[in-house]
Amino acid sequence: MILRTSTLAVLLLASCGQQEAADIQLSNAWARPTVGQVPGAVYLTIENKGGEPDRLTGAFTDHAAMAMVHQNEMVDGIAKMRMAGEINIPAHDRIEMRPGGTHIMLEGLRAPLRTGDDFDLVLKFRNSKDQTVKVTVTKPEGQ
Amino acid sequence: MTSHRLRLILWVLVAIAAVGGILVALQPPSPNSRETGLATIGGPFTLTAGDAKPFPSSRLNGKPAAIFFGFTHCPDVCPTTLARLVKLRRQLGSDDAMSIVFITVDPERDGPAEVGSYAGLFGAPVVGLTGKPDDIERVKKQYGVFSQKVDQPGGSYTVDHSASVFLMDRNGHFVATLSPEEGDAVALAKLKRLQA
Repeated sequence: MILRTSTLAVLLLASCGQQEAADIQLSNAWARPTVGQVPGAVYLTIENKGGEPDRLTGAFTDHAAMAMVHQNEMVDGIAKMRMAGEINIPAHDRIEMRPGGTHIMLEGLRAPLRTGDDFDLVLKFRNSKDQTVKVTVTKPEGQ
Repeated sequence: MTSHRLRLILWVLVAIAAVGGILVALQPPSPNSRETGLATIGGPFTLTAGDAKPFPSSRLNGKPAAIFFGFTHCPDVCPTTLARLVKLRRQLGSDDAMSIVFITVDPERDGPAEVGSYAGLFGAPVVGLTGKPDDIERVKKQYGVFSQKVDQPGGSYTVDHSASVFLMDRNGHFVATLSPEEGDAVALAKLKRLQA
């Protein structure tokens, strides 16, 4: 009985160990053009191909003074934009940031974003190492 | 308590409720009740355009208008809404089919130059308007628009604001709202009806 239980425990541990860690891939990063001092918003897809969840904890770019993960909420027809906490990226799942929902706000842009430009954005995760993605500035209508 | 007495008390309560109901029904309608009616959304205003010149709302007459209240430091909802309006207007067949109007609810940061250049971001004609804070407050009231500053970490602020678009006919009368949630098919049908 003891032998059987410990065999089971070993098997369970082995199967846990086999589970692949989070495997984050970034794609389809874009932003609309901006003008003057106004902030920009980056949208992108974060895919976790691994077997463990991970969390997006922050964003950085040399192109702006600050990059913040923001979430929009509609409450009784009122649009409210707030800092998002950490964003969970479940295993074998993807987060698609789209206009009107979650985005990465760039405040204090070094230069306004112009259609056709691109720049690097670094995302930080709790477990995975930093990931860099190239953000493309689209036409005003976006994607 | 006997059942007789209980019945008496209940009847008294019924009588009180009935008298109360009659009194409420007999009350003259409050003079404010009309202000929430659809017909009273909108009305004439004069604000300041991107060229720093006065912009009377009468300049919008002659074709339908889509009026949106926002602010230029709004990176997501405002450009998304204005870009959507530009796209929908293209589907109507002509940039001349309707005016698209952006009125700032953040006049402290958005002067004429700011609203002018912001309105120019969309690759199609958009009228950007600002004004003195009092004037903006008055127009917000005319349209029943809510906005409120909210401090952000880092000393900056964002503005919570009504996200609806107001559709006005060619005479400046309110017809319908467009909301961000409704699909493009419904929105386009509303815009087509405005053209009729």
